[in-house]
Amino acid sequence: MNCIVIGAGRLGKNMAIMLCKKHNVMLIDIDRSAFGDLDEYSGFMEVGDALDREVLENCGIRDAGTVVIMTEDDNKNIMLADVCRQIYNIENVYIRLKDSRKEKLVADENVRCVCPFDLTLENFREHYGEATL
Amino acid sequence: MKIVIADGSHQADYIIGMYNNRENELIVINSTLSVCKYLSAKNGISVLHGKPTKESDLFDAGIDNADLFIALSENDVDNYVACKTAKKLFNVRRCIATVINPKNVDLFKQLGVDSVISSTYLLGEQIKNTSHIENLINTLSLEDNKINIMEILVREENEVCGKTLKDIRVSDIASVSSVIRHGQPLIPNGDTMLEAGDKVLLVTTKEHYDELAEIFQRKKA
Repeated sequence: MNCIVIGAGRLGKNMAIMLCKKHNVMLIDIDRSAFGDLDEYSGFMEVGDALDREVLENCGIRDAGTVVIMTEDDNKNIMLADVCRQIYNIENVYIRLKDSRKEKLVADENVRCVCPFDLTLENFREHYGEATL
Repeated sequence: MKIVIADGSHQADYIIGMYNNRENELIVINSTLSVCKYLSAKNGISVLHGKPTKESDLFDAGIDNADLFIALSENDVDNYVACKTAKKLFNVRRCIATVINPKNVDLFKQLGVDSVISSTYLLGEQIKNTSHIENLINTLSLEDNKINIMEILVREENEVCGKTLKDIRVSDIASVSSVIRHGQPLIPNGDTMLEAGDKVLLVTTKEHYDELAEIFQRKKA
């Protein structure tokens, strides 16, 4: 499957590495210097602003089955999700949200949200159990 | 009308000035404290210091069911999310967003923002519609585009330079109202000879626009 990962921060890079083992991956970031530390990555890379439709189309968005959106800005991620779903009808769209309250904005729009903050809190709670707290 | 003005500085000020009267309920929210103070003091209204992209701040502002939500920040993405939040979570009827990047005009419209305004985009459209860069023809359209007033600069290399109006023979398709020479308007007649630097003002219909542009832009062999 053709996958696009937007945002080459730590999370984005590692997701791209995970995906490239079985899929064709295109990793996009607005900042050239983000593309360090990618020895295990075997996919494509592109420098550009994913909010520019020309950049997205040059990166093969029309043939993408999955788009993973991992920029540092929740609002940008939400807007990119809308572009992917409403304009390009991408089947699987994942976004990171630092503020899980923003999940409401993409409710019933078939966008899967990954909220690191909530997951970390949940993980902590599982480890130490209710009794200790 | 219940109108929400989100972010912006001098634009917000202007719009508040326009709509601040008894017929409208104005809600102003701004993320910059100094701008809040300025808008509040200048217009005598209360302004909420908060982020238009934050649901809780919009809730505190009381924007629910507003008729119009105007997003004026200099960050296009924030304007988009503010509009989306307003519509989806607060049942706002209509959203207007300004954008800095003219490419976002079409994008925002496709994503469902009701009105999108970019001054650069409007400038581009205006240039496309009303001037030919090559020979500096300015056009003013009246009567719903049916009448054009053309102001054409005559240059040394143009064929019409050095000719009389009688020789140029446009009286069937245009009325030459004036020739501006060294900043002074002359009322011309058939014997008026065009010099380089003259600006010819003619009135014509839309149908003859291209023909006239061609005659006056044609270069000497």
